[in-house]
Amino acid sequence: MTTLAARLLRARPGSSAATLLALTLGALILTAMGVLVESGLRYHPEPVRYAAADLVVARPDTTFTSKEFDGETYRSTVALPEGGTVPVALAGTIRDLPGVAAVAVDENIPVVTADGSLAAGRGWGSAILSPYELTAGRAPAREDEVVLDAGAAGGALPGSRVGLVVGGVLRSYEISGLVTGTGTATAFFTDAHAAALAPRSGGVTAIGVLAAPGTDVADLRARVERVAGDARVLTGTDRGLAERSADRAAAGLLIQIGASFGGYVALLIVFVVAATVGLSVRHRRRDLALLRAVAATPGQVRRMIMAESALIGLVAAVLGVPGGLVAARWLTGELTGRGFLPASFPMLPGVLAAPAAAGVVLVSAVLAGLLAARRISAVKPAEALGEAAAEPTGGGRTRLIGGLVALVAAASAAVAAVAVSGQTAMGAALGMLYLFVLAVALLAPWITNAAARLLTPVLRTGFGTGGYLAAANLRANARGSATVLTSLVLAVGFGGSVWFLQNNLERQAVAESRSGLLASRALVSGAGLSGSALAEVRAIPGVRSATPVRHTTVLAPLMGDGESIGARAVDPATAGAAFDLDVTAGSLTGLRDGAVAVSRTQSSMFGWDVGDDVELRLGDGAAVHARVVAIYRRGLGFGDVVLPLSTVAGHTATNLDDEILISAPASADTALRAVAARHPGSTVVDAAALTGGLAKDLALSAWLNRLLIGVMVGYTVVAAANTMVMAALARRRELALLRLVGVTRRQVRRMVNAEQFGLLGTAVVLGGSIAALTLSSVVRALTGSPVPYVPPLGAVVVLGGTTILALATTVLPIARLLRVPPIEHIGIKE
Amino acid sequence: MRVQGLTRTYASDGEPVRALAGVDAAFLRGTFTAIMGPSGSGKSTLLQAAAGLDRPTAGSVWIGDTELSRLSETRLTELRRGRIGFVFQAFNLIGALTVEENILLPLRLSGVRPDRAWIARVVERVGLGERLRHRPSALSGGQQQRVAIARALATRPEVIFCDEPTGALDTTTAAEVLALLRGVVDEHGQTVVMVTHDPVAASWADRVIVLADGRLVHDMPQPGAERIAEHLAALGRKRAVGAR
Repeated sequence: MTTLAARLLRARPGSSAATLLALTLGALILTAMGVLVESGLRYHPEPVRYAAADLVVARPDTTFTSKEFDGETYRSTVALPEGGTVPVALAGTIRDLPGVAAVAVDENIPVVTADGSLAAGRGWGSAILSPYELTAGRAPAREDEVVLDAGAAGGALPGSRVGLVVGGVLRSYEISGLVTGTGTATAFFTDAHAAALAPRSGGVTAIGVLAAPGTDVADLRARVERVAGDARVLTGTDRGLAERSADRAAAGLLIQIGASFGGYVALLIVFVVAATVGLSVRHRRRDLALLRAVAATPGQVRRMIMAESALIGLVAAVLGVPGGLVAARWLTGELTGRGFLPASFPMLPGVLAAPAAAGVVLVSAVLAGLLAARRISAVKPAEALGEAAAEPTGGGRTRLIGGLVALVAAASAAVAAVAVSGQTAMGAALGMLYLFVLAVALLAPWITNAAARLLTPVLRTGFGTGGYLAAANLRANARGSATVLTSLVLAVGFGGSVWFLQNNLERQAVAESRSGLLASRALVSGAGLSGSALAEVRAIPGVRSATPVRHTTVLAPLMGDGESIGARAVDPATAGAAFDLDVTAGSLTGLRDGAVAVSRTQSSMFGWDVGDDVELRLGDGAAVHARVVAIYRRGLGFGDVVLPLSTVAGHTATNLDDEILISAPASADTALRAVAARHPGSTVVDAAALTGGLAKDLALSAWLNRLLIGVMVGYTVVAAANTMVMAALARRRELALLRLVGVTRRQVRRMVNAEQFGLLGTAVVLGGSIAALTLSSVVRALTGSPVPYVPPLGAVVVLGGTTILALATTVLPIARLLRVPPIEHIGIKE
Repeated sequence: MRVQGLTRTYASDGEPVRALAGVDAAFLRGTFTAIMGPSGSGKSTLLQAAAGLDRPTAGSVWIGDTELSRLSETRLTELRRGRIGFVFQAFNLIGALTVEENILLPLRLSGVRPDRAWIARVVERVGLGERLRHRPSALSGGQQQRVAIARALATRPEVIFCDEPTGALDTTTAAEVLALLRGVVDEHGQTVVMVTHDPVAASWADRVIVLADGRLVHDMPQPGAERIAEHLAALGRKRAVGAR
């Protein structure tokens, strides 16, 4: 069967060109996504900071447990956004265990050096965990002494004094010694001073344990685990898990984008390839009928079609996978350049991703072949006897029922999509879109038929004889044009919704932030602001209010998994003067310890209401029982959860504020700038710059979404284009016949234009409606207003692009067909 | 090979159209039968039903001891490829395959090792020895039909069905093709059933069956081309009168 399939393929490469193109591009995208997922999944943080420790006790993640319906316990582990802590008292307990040679507690104190770069501040006792070796001078002995490595010292020598911003305050230290150890810029204080500066009270980042010589580490680990409580005891390469690193976050991001978009692309491939294989089967109906008549069983023909798809899939994999590896390299460069990925992140060459992508492409191709081959049973062997390959009009009952079911499912998905938040909205929108497009694909014969009937008078007046023929063609060929209609609707629906969704998110966030921000100035710092900065700002004459704000992340259980929610911690007493959250229920006056305010989107997603008690975990894993006191609208601009500062104090990585929102007249600016100067790393910005900064951040993260959506829309467009070229070229016999019976070239061209006009019109109306519905339901969930924002240029691009696509991919091939004398196409060869 | 009470109705715009209204006929081994009739008389439908390409609405089709209407699509195909050969008016061959591959296609699909000696005889009989490696597109219409006959013979079927095998050919080429079919019947004892509208073509047969409005109206042993034409003309006049 395979050899027969290969022979048939070689003789008619054109009919498979569209499938090959779709699969090759698919292989390319999937390989690139696969490399991201593989690099993310196989990334294992190498212990650096704790390289010399035998055991590390830490709490890098938190676990959510829930009962499934069948009684099984479901566990979901989430990395802690702010990093967890272990009780400092545990160090003493471990020290007394047999086999322990030394124990050191490790703190993670954010330090800004004289030149403004960030460094890790630690206690000298923890230097043995890496280890660090003194190259000059001696260990710190006094509170104002510090030992620096080359990165933090910047050429300063022992005995000289340096200014370091520690805990948001500029302090002066004397360099007592220099060390060499890891690549990270580090400053060592005395253990007592480090404990005093530590951002978390009562807890330390990690406890490192050195085993006594001759001790079995596994035994020691068991002994430590018995006293460690819920903290994790890490050995070997797992020790790297305890080190907070940008690489780890990047690994998560890679898995997330690679897997979600790879999944959608795989779906898209099956969709598109099923359409192109279906079309090529349709065009070879007579050959297949002949095969059926002379000897092939339905099963044999089905196997042949599947073998054919598999062969094309194989060729596509060979062509597409190397391209995907190149694309992955380019993407890595772009991600690194835009700060999504640390430059040091070890990207893998794709040894697993390449064969996996090839496998997915092959399976998709066979699956698509299977779908198309199901129609083979509809090819009656008697058709081989007919003069013309008769195209059955209309579709079967199963198809109609399937289409209606898909439509109902799409409609209910639309209803469901209203109740989700920004993050999941994208997913829900895509799912809904797929269901709608599936419904259109299934119902296409009836849709084209109805549209052709409706459009007949329009086409006749607009295009004359050509229009009349076009309407007749559309009606008679309702099933044949289903593929073309589906690809057009897919292109319009996709381009018109997911792309604009991003615009709406950004616009809404900026609009909320702009209209909700009451403060006129802000003091912001990437390194964090201390209480002294706040006190100084408040002391400036003319300052009406100053509100410290801390950005953090909280976790809440959602369907068994820990969902991360962007949160702001504020000073409740002054928050009202700084911003207006647009509270819709409850009141912010009750915001105190043990209370939270939640955005409307999140509250509807979690099913929370004012007065409900909710279980949250802070960024370091600490559990918080809080009562919802208010629900507000401006979640995109100000975070989805607002907590009192006192709740998160001691539970964030720096324990410092990110910004101070200030209401003050312009006369206070000079004094404010003076405060900023006393707190290195901080700057004074006005309200416009603050919202502008938000827009910039959003645009950066949007770049990634845009790129991936762009790839998907581009893929759809290419698929639509090659389907239409294929359909157009298959019409040579029909057009030759028309010309032989006296229809002029001009009339043929007008006919084709009229047909495209009819199909395009239907596709734009349907695709536009689907896009509008998708967009509107998501935007309503985000903003409360069902009217989405559509950038005029974007609308022009989507509509104009589709029109150009439809015309270029049909009119040009038809024009080529028309240049050949008709008699050459009418022959017995098909 | 025989058909009994063969009836076939199609639903067209909700109204049932009767293409065959109870046809009984038997085709003896080693005979050449022509089925004739005006357009729409049901001759193609009869051929398709008899050949297992289409299922009758009522009645039965027997090839030897096998009743066709109760067979599954797969069993029917297996029966077609082993015991029935086909020659259609045109588009008989798969353009991607060479002449030889087209001839061997039914054997290849059934997974049977071809009987080389028999194939060589068939190829020699149809006179295509030098063209085995060519593609069908390089052949003339008559040569294409001869390839189709060779394919039909390759499996040594019990009966060969031909649907207007000379419909697209000129007189001389048509005569060559018909002589070939005649020879197959006389020399190999093959059964051939042929649908045609051409009295000259029908005159090569041993027996002519004429259908009108889905019924068998004449069954005559070889009457000669002129008498066949007369019968058809009379039928045409009657229909014209009836319609009026």
